[in-house]
Amino acid sequence: MANNNDNFDHVIVKKPSVGQRMFKYRYFYLMFIPVAIVLLVFYYWPMLGIRYAFSTFKLKQITLRTGPDYSIGLGNFTRLLSSDPFHAAFKNTIVLSFINLVLAMVCSVAIALLINEIQNAWGKKIVQTVLYLPHFLSWVVAASIFMLILSAGTDATGADTSNTGFINAILLQIGILDKPVDFLTESKAWPTVWYIMNRWKETGWGTIIYLAALSSISPDLYEAAEIDGAGRMKQTWYITIPSIMNTILVVFILNLAKIMNVFESVFVFYNSLVYDVSDVIQTYTYRVGIVGNDYGYSTAIGLFKSVVSLILVSASDIISKKIRGYGIV
Amino acid sequence: MKKNVFKRFAAMSLAVVMVTGLAGCSGDEATFTLDGGDPNDLPDEISLMADTIITEENGLQDFCDEYERQTGIKLSIEKPDHAKYYEKVTLSFASEEPADIIEMGSTYYPELANSGALWDMTEAWNNSTSNCKKIIDEDYVEALKINGVLYGFPMAAGNGTITYVRDDWMKEAGLSNPKNYDEFINMLRAFKARGQGTIPLTSSGFLNNGETPYDIYLREFYQDAIPDFYKDEETGKYVDGFAQPEMKEAIQRLRDAYQEGLIDAEIVTNKTSTCRDKLGSGLVGAFNYWAGMWSLKLQRSMNEGQLKPIPPIEETGGYTERVPTAFAMSIYAPNKAAIFEHFLMFSHDGGEGQMLFTHGVKDKHYTMNADGSATALPYYSDPDNTVEKAIYAPELTITEWNDPIPLDPMVKDSLEEFRKNRVFASVPIVRDAIAENLADLNVVKDVVMANAVTGKTTVDEAIDYYNTKGSYYANAILEDLNSEENLKAEEEALAGATGGSASDEEAAEE
Amino acid sequence: MKKKFNLINPQYAPRSWFVLFNTLFFVFLMAAMIIPIFKIFCDSMVNETVYGLKLIPKGFDPNTGKEVWFNTIAYKRIVTDPGLYKPFLISIYTTLMTTFLGLLISTLGAYVLIQKDMPGVKIFSYMLLFTMIFNGGLIPTFLVMKNIGLLDSLWAVMLPMSMNVYNLVLMRSFFEGIPVSLFEAAEIDGCTPMGIFVKIVLPLSKAALASIGLFFAVAAWSEYFHYVIYIKSSSKYNFQYKLRDLFQDKQEASEGTKINVNTLKSAAVIVSIVPFMFIYPFCQKYFMTGVTMGAVKE
Repeated sequence: MANNNDNFDHVIVKKPSVGQRMFKYRYFYLMFIPVAIVLLVFYYWPMLGIRYAFSTFKLKQITLRTGPDYSIGLGNFTRLLSSDPFHAAFKNTIVLSFINLVLAMVCSVAIALLINEIQNAWGKKIVQTVLYLPHFLSWVVAASIFMLILSAGTDATGADTSNTGFINAILLQIGILDKPVDFLTESKAWPTVWYIMNRWKETGWGTIIYLAALSSISPDLYEAAEIDGAGRMKQTWYITIPSIMNTILVVFILNLAKIMNVFESVFVFYNSLVYDVSDVIQTYTYRVGIVGNDYGYSTAIGLFKSVVSLILVSASDIISKKIRGYGIV
Repeated sequence: MKKNVFKRFAAMSLAVVMVTGLAGCSGDEATFTLDGGDPNDLPDEISLMADTIITEENGLQDFCDEYERQTGIKLSIEKPDHAKYYEKVTLSFASEEPADIIEMGSTYYPELANSGALWDMTEAWNNSTSNCKKIIDEDYVEALKINGVLYGFPMAAGNGTITYVRDDWMKEAGLSNPKNYDEFINMLRAFKARGQGTIPLTSSGFLNNGETPYDIYLREFYQDAIPDFYKDEETGKYVDGFAQPEMKEAIQRLRDAYQEGLIDAEIVTNKTSTCRDKLGSGLVGAFNYWAGMWSLKLQRSMNEGQLKPIPPIEETGGYTERVPTAFAMSIYAPNKAAIFEHFLMFSHDGGEGQMLFTHGVKDKHYTMNADGSATALPYYSDPDNTVEKAIYAPELTITEWNDPIPLDPMVKDSLEEFRKNRVFASVPIVRDAIAENLADLNVVKDVVMANAVTGKTTVDEAIDYYNTKGSYYANAILEDLNSEENLKAEEEALAGATGGSASDEEAAEE
Repeated sequence: MKKKFNLINPQYAPRSWFVLFNTLFFVFLMAAMIIPIFKIFCDSMVNETVYGLKLIPKGFDPNTGKEVWFNTIAYKRIVTDPGLYKPFLISIYTTLMTTFLGLLISTLGAYVLIQKDMPGVKIFSYMLLFTMIFNGGLIPTFLVMKNIGLLDSLWAVMLPMSMNVYNLVLMRSFFEGIPVSLFEAAEIDGCTPMGIFVKIVLPLSKAALASIGLFFAVAAWSEYFHYVIYIKSSSKYNFQYKLRDLFQDKQEASEGTKINVNTLKSAAVIVSIVPFMFIYPFCQKYFMTGVTMGAVKE
């Protein structure tokens, strides 16, 4: 498949010369100018700051006078890689956000397909509006709701259960538990609860893009399939899913690039009893950043994150090329 | 494939070339001076960045106008969002355009002082002839000195936390104020016996969210343990307080109380606001929180019940008073000595200036009564409440002056109780080695405390965990603190400071 | 049942089972979404701190001294706060501008990127994707803003937000779905690239424009961090910022004696959701109708 693509490129290159093609597309270059300006000024210009990753750049009188000191070379990186909490945070970041990403994809696509099956226009409207609502709550609010619902109460001996949250109260009532469980301080339970909170807040919102893609599928395709005698399941499998596959992959890969950025949802929800499973790179950076205004070190962490993202995205791009014949770039 | 690599490379180099072209003009040299200049050379305009001051909606501009009327200096104030205040401060230094005067909390003050971004105002203070010098409580100024150098001037007392208990519950149980730890625990047991979801004592976290002093919210349990680095007076060397036997005992006390159900089981996940909510809902028996204005606020938040501050139990040796919040001056500020006199000294002058900085503008924020006393007026935006303060909290004033607006008796009581028993905290030590390792070390400490207290591990296991996981960072910090270079520098600085204050006294006599 | 491509055979039993299951599923799902939000709604009216799940919008009104249903004291406080009127307008202005600029940049960029034969198009798309992964960080970006004189200007908030690679690439994937034959037909008719863009691409992408426009609008509406970093004058803060400031202030100082802090916060959360309820129906129309992309058969 990859070969096909190359051949195709090859043939086109042979026809008109580069100059001719540039002339043909002259209006497109014009159209790209606004994009290019914003891109260069607000994204590429600040990138010069990446050089601070190789420097000692702190709020120091000496730094203010003479600028960052580049003599440490890779010092920030050796410091980073020798830190135990950083290793744990790196592992947690990958595990938490990757599983969350896969869950997000599966849940949003499934629910988008089901919403698409609702025939009643009003019903559809109400369902969508309600499912989007949690997206508008901030993470702090979402986390405090979950903490309240999941609370194990305020008595460590478990004898007095008057302050337990909704979930524990139900589980105690029907006899599944004989003592309240604090889901938020149990390392085994915390990731699951975090995934559920993320899905609660973002699944509905995540369906928007798939619903838009679904609405772009030509009705002709279904009519044709119906004539061929394909049932509902078959239509979904052979028409709907392939039609939105491109969107699914693009969303997946784009989100893969953001995988290292998970922060606020963890920050408002974690605690010291579950650091082993919950501390992620950004929360770690936050704590380090609070103590010292060490721009060099924090830029180094940023650069490290970027390199990992780059590897992930390139890998998925290559996989996408293998499977579909073309990548996303 | 090869072509792709080439294209990527081409894209990146194109971007780099373009960007370098764009950035060609940046990188000019910063301008600042460390010289204070002539104290009488008034600037036309000064800028202030502050956090805990009256809001725009409630007449910040009126404050500035009144300040200009009184001093002839135009004042511009920037009041960033509270939650992001320190990001804004560091950003302003990064842009090399910080405000002239900047409010600094105790956690950040030593850090910025250490970075050299703050102006050394020791000399200006020593040479000042203002009224402030006569009426101020010098302890607060001393509390801000780092190795004898003053980088910021106290705005108000640092204040600290005091233990509040439910007076009505105490009376019901026939208890008097606990004098020692055993009586304290018995009091909590009596609260516990009330049942119905009563939380004998609540708190948020074990180490005060990584801010010094770490032990303030749980004084009764820490007692003589210091979960931080400190200088051992006998040997003259620094030690890691967390690794000392006192700390192990403190963890054991917390653990026992927690396992008995005397401490809020949600202590690990609580925020201070959660604790206040629980207290307000009438669930909590004892809560260690800020003295002063908060005593009134906590009481008002409660639908029923009576709170009272209690004296410290004998094992604790008192409540800790935080390092005061300070107004520091950036090295970029112009006419520093003049600003020092006409802003900082003016604001603590015991007269017009202090009234403005404490209560705001006459007839806008307060009004004078016929008998010479004054009354606070309601907020512009909130007619139900009266103005508490403009910039300096009246109850935390650091000078001897007759405030025409009397304090609420409840605020006064809690402060008196607190001040009778306070111990001043010292400015946190800042060194590069600490900045680099403390965050990692604090993670280990948090985990150790949480696991040991909630019973996930035994205390011994927790201490072992600290010794294996934390020693790397702790040793790096200790090595740096106990390096000859550091100890010697501290000694010299202290010697210099004593010399300085001696000559200062001479100057005062003249 | 009146849908154009309704394929249901009413006698087809499994389909009915499916509809029943689907309905029950969504009822359950909506309950799961709505109960916690309803809880906030109730909290915004109780005017006291409650532990646990109290789901009755009823509370104590200090003016009358009675428990009343739908106690709106906290809402009145928010609406009458003089500091909130202008920020609300700023929010609307920046949201509209960011959405417009964002859609302009995403559609232009996406339209250029689907030109497979255009020399340099691959470089453009690498340059775009590269920024998703690498960025200069807070301090360097701040210094750039300072150098180009955008500090304390709303442009410093709107311009960077209007360029969102994620949205641009999504837009591109929509555009890729437009049959090539349409472009070819238009080109033969003598349309210029701009003409094709305005007459064919945009009208065919209503669903994409609506959804991506919504993404921009919501991001701009809930933006907060850029204001913290770049804006100094308090007259330029937006609603979200003021709401947060209001929270902070209520906690730190002048805590109301009559309105519970938690109640005020809950009311503020509800208020911040409301504008979306107005925007949403306008966008939803475009998801529902579908796009007649099958006009030209491939």
